[in-house]
Amino acid sequence: MKWMTTCKETTELASRAQDEHLNFGERLALRMHLAICTNCARFAQQIQDMRKVLRRDATDEAGPGLSDDARQRIETELQNRLDR
Amino acid sequence: MHSLDAHTWLAEHGDYLFRVARRQLHSDELAEDAVQDTLLAALSARERYAGDASPRTWLTGILKHKIVDIIRRRVREVELPRDADGEEAVDALFAQDGHWAEPLRPWGNPQTEAELGQLRRVLDECADRLKPVMAQVFSLREVGGMETEVICKELGITPTNCWVLLHRARLFMRQCLEMNGFSGAGA
Repeated sequence: MKWMTTCKETTELASRAQDEHLNFGERLALRMHLAICTNCARFAQQIQDMRKVLRRDATDEAGPGLSDDARQRIETELQNRLDR
Repeated sequence: MHSLDAHTWLAEHGDYLFRVARRQLHSDELAEDAVQDTLLAALSARERYAGDASPRTWLTGILKHKIVDIIRRRVREVELPRDADGEEAVDALFAQDGHWAEPLRPWGNPQTEAELGQLRRVLDECADRLKPVMAQVFSLREVGGMETEVICKELGITPTNCWVLLHRARLFMRQCLEMNGFSGAGA
């Protein structure tokens, strides 16, 4: 790995760090770049925040549920299966 | 004793299962399919339902598998992830020398329930706008919390393709949020 990664490469590392363990060289490169680059530091923080917010349990937020049509269709399928 | 009646499951948990599925499949139609597949599978497996988990927990467990099954079928139908516009769209975010083309704006620090709820709604809307398979893989990971390795294996896509999809999705999601003016209320 070269001594300084570009922003594009850094976003790839930051993104991969969300999915798997980076090796020592990669971690070092990521940390060095984030220390001096506001934009990439922001990106790294924002993809972490994104995950946190998306994983919040929000069952209380009542979005639209099943439509009447879909409910009826599923009801019929279940009845067909039960009648078999 | 919990009810083992499929009609009651639909009545009591149908909307919940639909919402969970909708957030990972990004399609009403596919989410309806997932609910139906889940209830039919639950019906066939009801003897094995021990009753120590609540019906909702049990059904949600089945639903997770059905969601993956549906996405797997979709993944087979598309070419991954070499769609040129995905690559061009990523390139457009960066200058020739690999620096960001535009500075990134901060999101502020959403803290209250209302702020977090709003951020989540915008994120869900942005995810709906991604290419379907990209949105689905992204949500399996970021919403469903499934391990990346498991996602690739379950969907039968190479780790590289899987990772490229996730990375592009994150770049696009972040950009979408910014374009929707989310700079963090109260920042």
